Amino acid sequence: MKNAIEINNLVKKYDPKFKLGDIDLKIPSGVIVGLIGENGAGKTTLIKSILNILHIDSGNIKIFGKDYKKQESTIKEDIGVVLDDMFLPEILFVKDIDSIMKDVYKNWDSSAYSDYLKDFGINPNKQIKTLSKGMRKKLEIATALSHHAKLLILDEPTSGLDPVVRSEVLDIFLKFISDEDHTILLSTHITSDLEHIADNIIFIDKGKIVLEDTRDGIMDNYGVLKCDIDYFKNIEKEDIISYRKNKYDYNILVKDKEKISKKYKNCIIDKVTLEDLMVLMIKGGE
Amino acid sequence: MLGLIKKDLLMIKGNIKTLAIIFVVFTIMAINGNGNFAFIPAFMSVMIVMSTFSYDEYNKTDGFITSLPNGKKNAVKSKYISTLIIISVSIILTVIMTMIIGISQNSLDFKEILYTTLGCFAAMLILQSVLYPVIYKYGIEKSRIGIFVGVFGISSIAALLMKSDLKIQIPPAIITLLNHYWMIILPIVVVIVLLLSYKISEHLYLKKEF
Repeated sequence: MKNAIEINNLVKKYDPKFKLGDIDLKIPSGVIVGLIGENGAGKTTLIKSILNILHIDSGNIKIFGKDYKKQESTIKEDIGVVLDDMFLPEILFVKDIDSIMKDVYKNWDSSAYSDYLKDFGINPNKQIKTLSKGMRKKLEIATALSHHAKLLILDEPTSGLDPVVRSEVLDIFLKFISDEDHTILLSTHITSDLEHIADNIIFIDKGKIVLEDTRDGIMDNYGVLKCDIDYFKNIEKEDIISYRKNKYDYNILVKDKEKISKKYKNCIIDKVTLEDLMVLMIKGGE
Repeated sequence: MLGLIKKDLLMIKGNIKTLAIIFVVFTIMAINGNGNFAFIPAFMSVMIVMSTFSYDEYNKTDGFITSLPNGKKNAVKSKYISTLIIISVSIILTVIMTMIIGISQNSLDFKEILYTTLGCFAAMLILQSVLYPVIYKYGIEKSRIGIFVGVFGISSIAALLMKSDLKIQIPPAIITLLNHYWMIILPIVVVIVLLLSYKISEHLYLKKEF
């Protein structure tokens, strides 16, 4: 399978306090990859590095096997982006975007854009600043989709949206990915979204990739073992990835849950959610 | 690049009404009074294009632009070109205005119109050339105070110098040269300053991170 994104030894330092790297990452074509991590973990920095918006300190990034140094505009013709809080000026009108973008992207499709607007219920004669937050996000997504991109890079595309709009947006992504050449890289801290749509999960913490696996791999392998304090003392250290002490019991993140459940028969192992995984790995003790 | 130029022009579309009102007010003032208001539309145009920097900064549009094909390469170029377009349009308005004033006062003087127009055009391009690198370096919000202090400071100093008895010793040869060839020298100087300014702005933009 061809790689949509290939990153080798990426390092990006912001200030003495934050460093992203070394990142090595391969994202194959045809999948939805979810990028998770707490605020400030480096998700946006990674995304901006992939888009060549930031100047990376070292490393190499290839998109569809092409190098930014030589083919930046060719690469960007094939990428659709939704950036967390960056978009065209809100003083513009929705219909202005069409007239601007048809001179930006070679493949801009005005009729696709107007179809998306119709689907999303966005009035083209409205000024961007008069749109609600959800509508605005949908407009950004419509803009990202209307030039027949092969790769969507989305930074927090569902943040601030209500559950109904969020599920609509996720459906749009699923429709996009039904073409097997299409790829989505999507960062979010609403991890439940990814449980519905992501094929692969990348977990970033303090600028490093701490976990990279398929969603099913994570869901099948990891579990949360629940037990009381006495039982906790009997659990071998090597079986604990991290744990959290609650008021009455302990939540322990474990890998290889089949094996663990055979080993510790008297306790319950719950299915892990991405949220549990994130919280336990970031906040839990080892 | 055309897309980004369009973006700037569409952004100021909403300001056209305000501009038209100001234009009419100053034309009437100029017809009734003796003051020379010819530079007003041109000056306004630079101010209005500068407002596009504010909107860009507020919506972090440069981050979005740099994610587009050729966005990084064309961002500064298109800003300079859209400014040139706006200044040119306002200069045409200036010509119309000076002609109206000339006709109303029965003193239509084409030579003066030509001089006023060229003077305005050169002054606005120089203003743009000085302001843009500052904006690209510090951002519009931070630059704004500096810009006003700078513009008023320079004009005040210039006014004081002109009023004072201070005689700046300029060799007569240079004065003769300027008197005879200013129509050639001025455009050359303006073009060089503008190109230099563009290169500096582009350099600053490419170094920036959004």
